[in-house]
Amino acid sequence: MPWRWQWGAAAATGAALVLTTGCGAVEERRTAAMAAALDFERALGVRDGGAVCQALAPETREEVAQSAKKSCAQGILDEEVPSADAVPEDVQSVDVAGRQARVVFPADTLFLSQFPGGWKVVAAGCTPRPQRPYRCTLKGG
Amino acid sequence: MTVRRFLRDNGLGLAFGTAFLLAVIGQAFAGHAEFNNQLTADGLQPVSIGDYIASSDFGVDVMENWQSEYLQFFLYVFLTVWLVQRGSPESKSVDKIGVESDKDQRVGPHARPDSPRWAAAGGMRLKVYASSLGQVMGAIFVLSWLAQSITGVSAYNEEQLRQLQPPISWPDYIVSADFWSRTLQNWQSEFLAIASMAILSIYLRQRGSPESKPVGAPHHATGVEG
Repeated sequence: MPWRWQWGAAAATGAALVLTTGCGAVEERRTAAMAAALDFERALGVRDGGAVCQALAPETREEVAQSAKKSCAQGILDEEVPSADAVPEDVQSVDVAGRQARVVFPADTLFLSQFPGGWKVVAAGCTPRPQRPYRCTLKGG
Repeated sequence: MTVRRFLRDNGLGLAFGTAFLLAVIGQAFAGHAEFNNQLTADGLQPVSIGDYIASSDFGVDVMENWQSEYLQFFLYVFLTVWLVQRGSPESKSVDKIGVESDKDQRVGPHARPDSPRWAAAGGMRLKVYASSLGQVMGAIFVLSWLAQSITGVSAYNEEQLRQLQPPISWPDYIVSADFWSRTLQNWQSEFLAIASMAILSIYLRQRGSPESKPVGAPHHATGVEG
């Protein structure tokens, strides 16, 4: 094989490897984001305030505690967040872009972000509004 | 070949290659700091420099500039076959508009012993080789513009999700304001640079530069490089 072709073959293999690795990484992140959303909904379904707060992003957790004027684990159960069935079959869609994700259930939409401890829920109880950000019952800031 | 001679003979490529690397490293550090400022303001986890370099945010910023530079050279290479600028060293003379004769271009039977092999070949090989510079520039432009659209939609969606807004698909992205704003803001500056270089070099000189006419050359002299 002439050397030019060898370089071409090497470049094509490299590109294929990058694409495959990239796609694999996106699939892994989708699965991880969905698992975190299911954990959140499961905890909400059994009204385990500690587990719900564990699934929240730090700023969202802080916001719950601040607005309820008690601990997040106690305050979260007063919030009117719709709970969805925590089964993978109930997940309508998972969108991942970089370190952010949206998981849509028929009864709820969650926004998640990647943290050192894994994917955490940034906003929950979200309903879409045309041309504007989702309105969310639970969110940070 | 001694190192000194190699450096002298390849000074232009080496200087710009090094400047490119330094600039892209600087862009990575500045972009990383800016990206983390936004994440911190949104109460999200900052990313490492490695994660930032692998991110679509960095990718789209690099690709949008690459595509416009290669578009600039692609158009410049192709359009200067047919368009001239009287008095400009960037243009050939007015009587040479077009692809010129085989004799002038030293192709086919007019190729010389030191001509590239494909210039003497004739047929498809000559056809491909005779426009290889423009084709490669054009191909890199198309690929980097495509890469801009792919990294762009991911970066755009990441920001959408950060702002609790829905992501969009790639077909929607390539007709979006974000894609065309990024694209056209780069194109306008490239087109302005070409137009101003073509026109200013009619009247202004840079002694010793092949991009300029000789200092004493008249304003009406076209296709003369100093």
